[in-house]
Amino acid sequence: MPATPTPSPSSLSIRVNGRRVDLEVPTHALLLDVLRDRLDLKGAKRSCDMQVCGACTVLVDGAPVSACTYLAVEADGRDVVTVEGLGGPEALHPLQEAFVDHGAVQCGFCTSGMLLSAKALLDERAAPSEAEIVHHLRGNLCRCTGYRKIVDAILACAGGSGSAA
Amino acid sequence: MLRPFELRRPATLPELGAILGEHRDAAALYAGGSELLVLMKEGLVRPRVLIDVKRVAGLGEIAAADGTLRIGAAVTHRTVERSPVVHAHCPLVAEAARFVANVRVRSVGTVGGNLAFADPHSDLATLYLLFDARVALWSGAGGERELPLADFVRGPYETARRDDEVLTEVRLHPLPPGAAGAYLKFGVHERPTLGVAAALSLDPARRRVAAARLAVGCIGARPQRLAGLERGLVGAPVEALAAARVDAGAEGLDAITDLHGSADYKLEMAQVFVRRALRLAAARGMRQDIDARYAHTVAV
Amino acid sequence: MRLARELVIDARPEALWALLWDVPRMAACVPGCSEAQEVTAHRTYRARLAQKVGPISLSVPVTVEVTAAAPPRHLALTASGRDPVVGAEIAMELTLDCEAVATGTRLRIGAEGHVLGKLGALGHAVVQRRAEETLDEFGRRLARAIGS
Repeated sequence: MPATPTPSPSSLSIRVNGRRVDLEVPTHALLLDVLRDRLDLKGAKRSCDMQVCGACTVLVDGAPVSACTYLAVEADGRDVVTVEGLGGPEALHPLQEAFVDHGAVQCGFCTSGMLLSAKALLDERAAPSEAEIVHHLRGNLCRCTGYRKIVDAILACAGGSGSAA
Repeated sequence: MLRPFELRRPATLPELGAILGEHRDAAALYAGGSELLVLMKEGLVRPRVLIDVKRVAGLGEIAAADGTLRIGAAVTHRTVERSPVVHAHCPLVAEAARFVANVRVRSVGTVGGNLAFADPHSDLATLYLLFDARVALWSGAGGERELPLADFVRGPYETARRDDEVLTEVRLHPLPPGAAGAYLKFGVHERPTLGVAAALSLDPARRRVAAARLAVGCIGARPQRLAGLERGLVGAPVEALAAARVDAGAEGLDAITDLHGSADYKLEMAQVFVRRALRLAAARGMRQDIDARYAHTVAV
Repeated sequence: MRLARELVIDARPEALWALLWDVPRMAACVPGCSEAQEVTAHRTYRARLAQKVGPISLSVPVTVEVTAAAPPRHLALTASGRDPVVGAEIAMELTLDCEAVATGTRLRIGAEGHVLGKLGALGHAVVQRRAEETLDEFGRRLARAIGS
């Protein structure tokens, strides 16, 4: 039986929501677990655990990734944005405002993934069409809303201040 | 939680080859990890070593020279989607990249990873057949060898890659000037149930087919070209494409009954979508706009 | 999962039976089968079955039991075991029927059973395909072994 490798930790330096974080993590740690358990950022959720549902979506250097299937070591030296970095109770991000205004949140489980996917889209393309929004959200599943209000909320931000940093 | 492993990050192919040669199938090649990490989470594969290919010089490039478009194995679908070089030489490939899986998978998943995993429902394995794709495999012991994609993909999750080899790039030949292509993928599940790629060259009057290429995938053990129908369509009037028929037996076209549907259903859908793909390719060849919206279908 | 194969082997039924009834030698003809050993002669055996299905490697310790034997015509066995690493469970019934024909023996091989567990994530078709390839190669190796 081959020897089990001794886990050797890796030193990482990640900018999380604009703040530099230095950590030692096992090489086999997944980004989702590091965010939730080490950094207490519970917005990203473990749901399908296989990149299908989008509940674990975070942005790495602006691109949406499934944190459940992303090694933490890959984020070394990069910018990670979670929903906590979008805005907070004192100052909601325009996307968060729009979600509230349009009733696009029911149970809230998909919401952080939806918001971050939307932010990635609006950062890249300020005025996407409805078809482009629907295409972009194809990998974010919602069991509650039927998606209509989510798309309306993002449309409302499109072309407006939705892409504000 | 994943089981522990050692992560190696070679900077050159010879370095990678040495690590792979040492560990063979106790090591797993790792790019985006979209399939690998999921299998590891399930405990279905337990590599002791992950060999990260993303820092190896040359595997992340896209280049076109001498009539060949070369896409490095570590290039992500997102990069293919946005690449001006791919758009210039094989626009259908760039457009289809936009629809692989979902936006998160496209951020990290790679062309090489997709082809080497040989998921029977892969988009690329079907589409790239249209471009007479060849893959380059490299090992420390043997150097590079090249083989047609049709020979590389042997069956579901099975390729001709030896366990000391790494897939380094895929080489595509652009369609002939004036040819128009289309890729339709159909299904309601996470992965497509059926993929059909078609390319047509029309005669100068744009009334008859001068040459045709057709590839069908996802329904059988591996994707394939429909060589018989391709030959049969030469000289056919464009109007006849709506009635094109696939002779599954003659083509050696097989379908597998599974959760996507019965073999009969899939073969029936292959008939339907081959006609739709031909119709769409022909319309593009004649510079016409047609409505190619079909239920549960992405039309590229 | 149910599979069947038929092949004609250039040997008389009695000669073929001698090979089949030597269960460890017969088991060695199954691709991936190794470490075949007798527990109780002509009743119980143990072996290890190794297979690679796509990227997934299996190593299953199997117990083989003879359930019926009517020399030189009919042999029935069961093989069952579990790969604890991958969590794959195999349970198969194998039947081997020999019939004298002009050119030797017609051997009919039947295999019925299941492979359960996480391996199913690959899809039943993949497992079936591997089982068919295994059965084909088994037939070929039996035919070769008869010569020696």
